[in-house]
Amino acid sequence: MIRSLRRVADRRRQADGRYGWLFSPYTGDEMVAIDCETTGLDTRTAELVSIAAVRIQGERVLTSGSLDLRLQPPASLRGDSIKIHRMRGIDLNDGDELGEALEKFLDFIGNRPLLGWCIDYDRAVIDRQLRPLFGFSLPNACLDVAQLYLREMHRTRPQLEPTVNFESVAEALNVPVMGRHTALGDATTTALMYIRLKKGALTTS
Amino acid sequence: MVDMDLSQPPFTLLDDSGRERVVRGVDLLYFNRGEIILDAGQPGEFVYIIHKGEVAELDPHAPSDQARIAHYTAGDLFGAISILKGSSRYRFKVEQESLCYAMPKTLFEHLCDDYPAFADFFQRGLAQKTRLLAERRAESGVNMAGFMLARVSACMRAPLIVEATTSIAAAANRLNESHADSMLVGKDGRFGVVTKTDLLNALVMEGATQARPVVTIAHFELVSAAPDQYLFEALVQMTRHQVARVVVVEQDRPVGVVELTDVLSHFSSRSYMVSLELEQADDLEALARASARLPELVQALMAQGIKLRFVMDLLAALNGRIVDKAYQFLVAPRYRAQSCLLVMGSEGRGEQILKTDQDNALIVADDSDWPDREIAMQRFTETLYTLGYPPCPGNIMVSNPAWVDNESGWRRTVTRWVERRDGASLMNLAIMLDARGVAGDTRLLDRVREHLFASCSHDELLLSYFARAALHFAAPLTLFGTLKTPRHGIDIKKGGIFPIVHGVRTLTLECRINETSTLARLAALAEQGRLEADFAADLGEALALFIELRLKQQLAQLDGRQNSDEPNLVVVQSLSSLERDLLRQALHIVKDFQQRLTHRFHLEY
Repeated sequence: MIRSLRRVADRRRQADGRYGWLFSPYTGDEMVAIDCETTGLDTRTAELVSIAAVRIQGERVLTSGSLDLRLQPPASLRGDSIKIHRMRGIDLNDGDELGEALEKFLDFIGNRPLLGWCIDYDRAVIDRQLRPLFGFSLPNACLDVAQLYLREMHRTRPQLEPTVNFESVAEALNVPVMGRHTALGDATTTALMYIRLKKGALTTS
Repeated sequence: MVDMDLSQPPFTLLDDSGRERVVRGVDLLYFNRGEIILDAGQPGEFVYIIHKGEVAELDPHAPSDQARIAHYTAGDLFGAISILKGSSRYRFKVEQESLCYAMPKTLFEHLCDDYPAFADFFQRGLAQKTRLLAERRAESGVNMAGFMLARVSACMRAPLIVEATTSIAAAANRLNESHADSMLVGKDGRFGVVTKTDLLNALVMEGATQARPVVTIAHFELVSAAPDQYLFEALVQMTRHQVARVVVVEQDRPVGVVELTDVLSHFSSRSYMVSLELEQADDLEALARASARLPELVQALMAQGIKLRFVMDLLAALNGRIVDKAYQFLVAPRYRAQSCLLVMGSEGRGEQILKTDQDNALIVADDSDWPDREIAMQRFTETLYTLGYPPCPGNIMVSNPAWVDNESGWRRTVTRWVERRDGASLMNLAIMLDARGVAGDTRLLDRVREHLFASCSHDELLLSYFARAALHFAAPLTLFGTLKTPRHGIDIKKGGIFPIVHGVRTLTLECRINETSTLARLAALAEQGRLEADFAADLGEALALFIELRLKQQLAQLDGRQNSDEPNLVVVQSLSSLERDLLRQALHIVKDFQQRLTHRFHLEY
């Protein structure tokens, strides 16, 4: 509710700006799977380390034209998160500045619907960075693949208590996990999961 | 971030930046089962690399049993040929839901332009496939190229030159001594040729005496060739002049003779030359030289695509001759006549392509009198070792007194084995059943085998004990009938060769078949109606496939290309998709056979 009110406000404010087109409804057939690696799990403090986005066109995952951004090392980059995404400060030294990266990201995704694994988290982190710099939050429609999976499971196998963790869902959908805990790998895997779900992987098997 | 395995050809032909372009340029595609990725006649837009899943290549115009052209699984690549040719000739259908990388046509073409080796790989793939199809059409796919390019000097033999004054009788002796068919007679600086046929005609048709000089029947109009001419030119000359040999002349001197048989055997990979060398060997060193050439012969035969069973037959015959010759050199004729040397195990079955351990035994006649038998046998084993046959680790050799006995002793031993029927005895029975006499009086072996059949073939209990070993190793197939793919490879000896060989051996014992080669046994079993002819043929083909796979590994090892010392382990992942498909089918036949054995010999428990 608050989000949609905000979106309306953002839209009015941006209507004549550079990003006004992001607010118009999308009419194509593509979607974008996104994933971020961050320095923590708390949306209020976590900062972005890398962002990846992969377009999906029908049943094809367009990995050839994917976006994989690495950012300048944020101040909160510490040992515990490095253990997960394996990006050390040094690896990020040649990364993009936050503002530039977000600009590239916005240009890449456009007004296409977004797709992600627990996308609310990624969106919250991105929005927190986006708002001070650009003055709006991501206006795109979002689809959470984890929720989609849960819903499909409830519909096809109501008797089961499904476990929703990334690896086990990938296995259940017979999707290879590519490069886990790299932004692009997770985004690609999520895209594949979505395609499998759309093709009725759960209903047929 | 794409998890592509680019460590396999053709991607190894690219450099790092090329591989980077591949990784950046591919898309991912999902296909459900039964979907058609590319239909016949459609233009190719992508090169597909399978990440997971199975895709079949089908010929939509062929009857359903021959429709399948190839089968692709994880890591395989298809669609390249469709791009090169403009449109697809066949239909690619998804057999198991698949995740594929799709490389766009433009990227593929750019890579082909930038990396000639990469482009070559696909051109060659095309040629290989075409050849495969051509071979399927005409079973006799013999590679002519090697033959066409051989020079005369590669296959000529030294001429046998005699003086003009030599008599016909002496000439005939010389011919026999040197195992030749023709000789040259020199007279006043010119040379004439005399063949065995000439001698025969002179003696029989013209009534010439044996003392007549051979020069009177020589032909001085020689059909000649130069050493650097192509061999096929020599063949053309022979055909044109209707003769069976040409004389090789260099600077007006005869330097060699090329016989028609030489040309033909050169054509069939010099097999005749090796056997000739074997026959002509008159001491152990010459024999060792000839025997060292066998692996090379096998390689040449296999390279020419000669069917494996003919290679096996040839090699069994040659190995038999080597052992026989060695036996002749070491054992006096008197003792040879009263004994029979057996080769056993795979050599007895004639399935040993490259030389392995010597498995042999000796049967001596009951009334023989052979004082230094043990010493002679010890020497024989050592001699075989120098000829390149390593000793048997199980000590089944004539140097071991347990495998040398007289005929009645052997009968008693067989009876004892039959009564005891524990693991070792059953194995010994199996070894004895595969024994083949190579030297001496083979009737001794026939009588022992007759005794073996008489004491076993009606003993149902013994037969089922005997058959059980064939089920000891299960075929390496998964529950869903696909190949198991452990990283160290599947053991085709345990999973494929042994069940077939032993199962067939059991049936042979039951049906009292004297053959020792598994393929001949299968033919005999089919003739007796014990197995359906189709099934027997399938089993034979499956066995040939396994042996061929093993042989390839052994040859690779011989070349030093592979240093694994386990030729029985076949790493499925490294096979081509066609081989993989064949292997899977062959293992299914093995499984089927094991089930039949279970049923026949009541081995369900």
